[in-house]
Amino acid sequence: MESIFVIASFTVPENIGANPQSMFWLLPLVAAIAIIYKATKLPTIKAANFIKETSILFGSIIVFIVIAALTLHAVAWLITG
Amino acid sequence: MALRSREKQTLFLLIVGLLSWVVPGAGHLILKEKERAVIIFLTILLTFCVGIYVGSIGVINLYGATPWYVVGAQVMNSPMVLVLGRMTADNAYPVYGWPNEIGQIYTSTAGLLNLLCIVNAVYLAYLQGIKPARG
Repeated sequence: MESIFVIASFTVPENIGANPQSMFWLLPLVAAIAIIYKATKLPTIKAANFIKETSILFGSIIVFIVIAALTLHAVAWLITG
Repeated sequence: MALRSREKQTLFLLIVGLLSWVVPGAGHLILKEKERAVIIFLTILLTFCVGIYVGSIGVINLYGATPWYVVGAQVMNSPMVLVLGRMTADNAYPVYGWPNEIGQIYTSTAGLLNLLCIVNAVYLAYLQGIKPARG
């Protein structure tokens, strides 16, 4: 019975608002990209090394996104403000 | 004889690519890359499931107004997406706004990541095929 409810939850969209917190939805996506990229690029998969490499890539992408967001925000502020 | 082995190699590459598409990570599994296969399978499945959980299966809208590149990316997850697309035809599960956006982004990114894995599996299979010839 429980499994039917779980499957049914995939037929109705979640209630997500377009607020600043919704930007956190990018975090799982970036994690997935970092994991798959490193899974295809590393010559051998060792748990410790894999986690380290994935974390570095995850952090790099997030830092780059933050810098890009700040730059765009500054440009928008200069033009409109 | 060389032609026959080249045909076999091409067939093997096709099988690896097809398997990777049908089940994410399966191509790596038959190349005896078990860890890679498990990581790929779990990550792509989870990313896809998050997408259809947030936006419902209505985000797989193969016959609606969804842009062709989103549909193409979603189909790269697995042929199972086509089955989902049949279920959601005629706008049976309508979804709009932010959940639709997030659902489409997650499902199409999962598909594009699987495309990367398919290419990687075929490349690994190719390298394994030429290794004996070189060695």
